Amino acid sequence: MRAVRFHGRGGQGAKTASRILGTAAFIEGFVAQDSPIYGAERRGAPVAAFTRIDTVPIKQRGVIVHPDLVVIADASLVGDPAARVLDGIDDRTAVFVNSPLTAEQFQAQTSLPGRLTTLDLTDIALQQFGKRGAISALLGAVAGRLVGLRRDSVREAIARELADLGLAAPAIKRNQTVALQCYEAVQMVPIDTGSREPAAPVQLRTPAYEPPTRGTARISAAGNSILRETGGWRTFRPVLVPDKCNGCWLCFAYCPDGVISMTKDDRPVIDYTHCKGCQICVHECPTEALVAEREKEGGVAWKAK
Amino acid sequence: MEGEMMTGNLAAAWGARLADVDYVPAFPITPQTEIVEALAKWCESGAMAARFVTLDSEHSMMTAAGAAAATGARVFTATSSQGLLYALEVLYSVSGWRAPLVLVNVSRALAAPITLEPDHNDVLAARDSGFLQIHAETCQEVLDSILMAYRIAEDERVMLPVIVNLDGFYLSFTREPVIMPDPDQVKLFLPPFRPAHLGFKASAPHALGVAVLSGTPYSYFRHQMHLAAMNALDVHREAAAAFEQLFGRRYDVVEGYRLDDAEDVLVMTNAFASKGKAAVDVARAEGKRVGLLRLRMIRPWPADAIRQALQGRRAVAVLDQNLSPGQGGILFQEIAACLYHESLRPRALCSFIGGLGGKNLSEGELRAIFEQTAEAGLSGKGIGPILLYTEAEHREMVQLQVLAGGLKS
Repeated sequence: MRAVRFHGRGGQGAKTASRILGTAAFIEGFVAQDSPIYGAERRGAPVAAFTRIDTVPIKQRGVIVHPDLVVIADASLVGDPAARVLDGIDDRTAVFVNSPLTAEQFQAQTSLPGRLTTLDLTDIALQQFGKRGAISALLGAVAGRLVGLRRDSVREAIARELADLGLAAPAIKRNQTVALQCYEAVQMVPIDTGSREPAAPVQLRTPAYEPPTRGTARISAAGNSILRETGGWRTFRPVLVPDKCNGCWLCFAYCPDGVISMTKDDRPVIDYTHCKGCQICVHECPTEALVAEREKEGGVAWKAK
Repeated sequence: MEGEMMTGNLAAAWGARLADVDYVPAFPITPQTEIVEALAKWCESGAMAARFVTLDSEHSMMTAAGAAAATGARVFTATSSQGLLYALEVLYSVSGWRAPLVLVNVSRALAAPITLEPDHNDVLAARDSGFLQIHAETCQEVLDSILMAYRIAEDERVMLPVIVNLDGFYLSFTREPVIMPDPDQVKLFLPPFRPAHLGFKASAPHALGVAVLSGTPYSYFRHQMHLAAMNALDVHREAAAAFEQLFGRRYDVVEGYRLDDAEDVLVMTNAFASKGKAAVDVARAEGKRVGLLRLRMIRPWPADAIRQALQGRRAVAVLDQNLSPGQGGILFQEIAACLYHESLRPRALCSFIGGLGGKNLSEGELRAIFEQTAEAGLSGKGIGPILLYTEAEHREMVQLQVLAGGLKS
């Protein structure tokens, strides 16, 4: 069995990549299984997807706890504990990161364990497509190469999956071409085929009854999104032009996430650690005192600070 | 005779009135309507200080009820049958909020085909909702159970909503003497509702029933509801003792009737248990050693009390006034499950299905149950599910089919 886990942000194509890999394996006659997991969230939020490949029926479901290969579509996820990118990665795990850094540079910077390989898929996408959109075909092709699938099956899988998403034939063709360039370009790392020790039985614990103040799904604390720094989800950030602000508090009232607070002299202060970049404040501001600025990958927002 | 003549519905309304509830969201449905009519009248006249609001459906009614309880108000509402099912989605939310309101369900069999008379498929559909369930046999028990329900629900060890069930027609529209508890003593029995985890304060907002989107917190909170429901067994015992002290009437989670030395035991719930007791008397008079176990609390499931009452018996018959198509009697399954590990478990378990759609439970049917149960006890082989349905009834049925289909007989 090959177990591949994809990490990305909503909109990057991690789920489609897992399907491209699953379909490519299926085309080659393997038994495949792919599935995504995500919350009630949106573009920019961490998502994960899983592909299993085997020669016999797969007796597994859902989350891959011990991946053989981890494909990271967005390097900023490595530092986000909520994304759980590092779960189950050890020295034997093959890890691909979409990054302009070399594997050595990246490893030095993040002390990520595993057998690392990198390629700047974002840059390739920007150069070839002229925009930073979904990189599902590129991720799928890289993963296909790393697990040892053939070029032709990857090419065919990209066609099937992107057609399924409603892409036009020329766009599919472009994706195939660029994806296969990545297929060739990615530096190979060995994938461990060794079997794992069977799990030891866990120690079960029966929770005791607690009073309803604790035992009910109830939130009374403000500013409680500490484990999840949603600032990393932004593509655009709202920025204040102080001269234009008339102090009307509308941005404060409209912010759906309560990340805008007001100063004593009626000026908004935005908590960029948690602002998801929905731009409602920009839209509602009557004096255009809030403007949307593009976040840059690797920039501050992408590290959620 | 002490007390006054009162229907089960009016007794339910008096339960809410004596509990001094703050809020009554309502939607009428036969055979429950008389309850909300009485409450509407009392709220209008000022006899009750509660706010009475009519909603557009049972779904809205339960939502309003749960939301009001979440602000710390004491809430009462009532429904029946299709209405309970329409509200079902909200029941799960309200119990998850740990909002301890009391809902009276007047049992009525479910469509289709449509009918007005009772069986328990409606209330048992809410079996897994996190609401506790108390099923009443008499109009007096309806009133008393509502008072006990508030006391149990509002206990910090429980904080779960409660359904008090009564049978449509057989209790809802049936008058019998009911002793009215003294309002001052009710105040002693039911202290004001002051929940720590609920309430409404603009300066201290809180969110209930939040999204958790991960199995771990979800598991924890659902398991807390299970523990809370199980705590209700002890809390019920305490409430029963306090109730007995103040009002002189005692209610336990199960009621044994002539169980001493009984070889065979019939298990029943709700109003028809009265008829079961009469049948026990008849059989006893003939020298048969039979008894009856009435289940009063269905959730939490009083497994220990049931085991204690049924261990060592020759045979046990469960009369389910419900039918799970493709399975059989619902309570039979639960009785069987809780007896499995009992070394002195009965030699035979018998499952009977009767009283569906309010079909009368006849003396002859009860005799047949005792007879077949005794035989099963002797042979050591359980039977059922057996439908209580006779040759004469079948002839009536055929006649109806002929009429409905325009057939020649």
